[in-house]
Amino acid sequence: MKKECISLQHISKEFNGNLVLKDVNAVLHQGEILGFLGPSGAGKTTTIKILTGQLKPTDGQAYVLGINCQDIDETIYEQIGIVTDVSGVYERMSVYDNLKYFAKILNVPLDNIDILLKRVGLYEHKKKLASQLSKGQIQRLILIRAILHTPKVLFLDEPTSGLDPTTALEIHKLLKELKTEGMAIFLTTHNMEEATKLCDHVALLNEGVIVEYGTPQDICLRYNKEKKYKILKNDKKEVLLIHTEENIKVLNQWLMDDEIISIHSCEPTLESVFLEVTGRELQ
Amino acid sequence: MKTIHINKLLAIIEVKGKALFSKNFIIMPIFSLGMTYIMKLAYGSISKEIDMTGYYLSMGVLMNVCMTGVYCVAACLAEEKEKNTLRTLMTSSVNGLEFFLGSLIPVVLLMVIVNVLCVFIAGFSMTITEWLCYVAITTISSIIGAVTGMIFGIFAKNQMSAGTMTTPVLILFMLIPMFSHLNEIIETISNYLFTGVIMNFINHVTTKVTLTNPLELGVLFLEFILTVILFLVLYKKNGFEAN
Repeated sequence: MKKECISLQHISKEFNGNLVLKDVNAVLHQGEILGFLGPSGAGKTTTIKILTGQLKPTDGQAYVLGINCQDIDETIYEQIGIVTDVSGVYERMSVYDNLKYFAKILNVPLDNIDILLKRVGLYEHKKKLASQLSKGQIQRLILIRAILHTPKVLFLDEPTSGLDPTTALEIHKLLKELKTEGMAIFLTTHNMEEATKLCDHVALLNEGVIVEYGTPQDICLRYNKEKKYKILKNDKKEVLLIHTEENIKVLNQWLMDDEIISIHSCEPTLESVFLEVTGRELQ
Repeated sequence: MKTIHINKLLAIIEVKGKALFSKNFIIMPIFSLGMTYIMKLAYGSISKEIDMTGYYLSMGVLMNVCMTGVYCVAACLAEEKEKNTLRTLMTSSVNGLEFFLGSLIPVVLLMVIVNVLCVFIAGFSMTITEWLCYVAITTISSIIGAVTGMIFGIFAKNQMSAGTMTTPVLILFMLIPMFSHLNEIIETISNYLFTGVIMNFINHVTTKVTLTNPLELGVLFLEFILTVILFLVLYKKNGFEAN
């Protein structure tokens, strides 16, 4: 049985009379990635702030590593890592010095820095000032800093937002490795591809309410009411066939006549599920 | 009571110490030393009969205590907020007390060094007892200045707002003692300011009267306590970020 690292129990949060989180429930186990998927303003960052003790919930209980988030003090940060869109770096310090500072604070051997820098491809930039780094490099620096002390839980608030696809892929690769090593990762994103690819479980969040929760595959199959097939024929024409008795006969005929280049089943994506459930686009 | 971890405190002191030597901040102590030297050059050539060394020294020390103490500390804290590094530090297991001490220790050390250097630049002579009193009074004043800077830093969103907020206070802290000889009201106000206590002490050494009186010591002690209490109240209410 995997250890429970995060537990959200009926969490609600109100700001000036506005309920931004309503009865949110979720669980994250060791070695898993839980994604909170939703558009801007859905309550994703508020959830992270509650879980990391930066905000108190109006109602409900949140636990990180068994500790109630309302009771946590700074020592919890020795066991968790946080990457948010407002994580800052010391621009007048080099990449290495930025990491050295936090390594000293977190009592981490300095050898870890070079290992991690090599792991994310920043080693050759270690002497560069942080102010000279590109956005993707800064994001990788922030990520290394968050995992410098090998935390048990990692919080990532839109870690690949605004990054080029190559950097985003490198970050995805690292997150998968960290997950394999046993780290529990709480990820917020509005990128449904990222969530599908990385997350073991996702919660679709809309206006502070979890409208769907489960594995990405389960959620998509739940909304796969009408089976469809996308067919590319020899004449390069794309045909969409709905699963009916008559269409299956047509498909069989095409197969026998060797008229088909490729067939794909068309399950709904998380994005289309979100659209169907909320009537809103994710991005 | 918060625990102080030496590794964290030393790491913060190291980084804050280096930050003080950046061009944004080092200009303030250099300006204090430079001002003492320029005034010595300017007044030294005008008047050879009257001993003006106490006056040069007062100017340098007042500038140092106010500009390095109040402005640099406020701007340093505001910069941490502006660049989002303060929140990163606080979510990396640093507690408020460690950050407070780590931020104050290097700046107070720098101010103490500058206060001592000002004495040599001004050419002000003191006995050992006077030296000890001078170091004690200017160090306590430096701490008051730095904690005052921290209070402003709580409310400053960025370095620019730190400058805007501290400037009127700096002017008052510096100008009131400087012009205290002009009329009795300004003199009375000056007597109740920690910067006025520094000015009075240097005057006492120059005129060779008693070094300090109970009122001056009381003012210094009371302002030290009041500043610390005010900081603690505001910190408890807002943390390091009022906005």
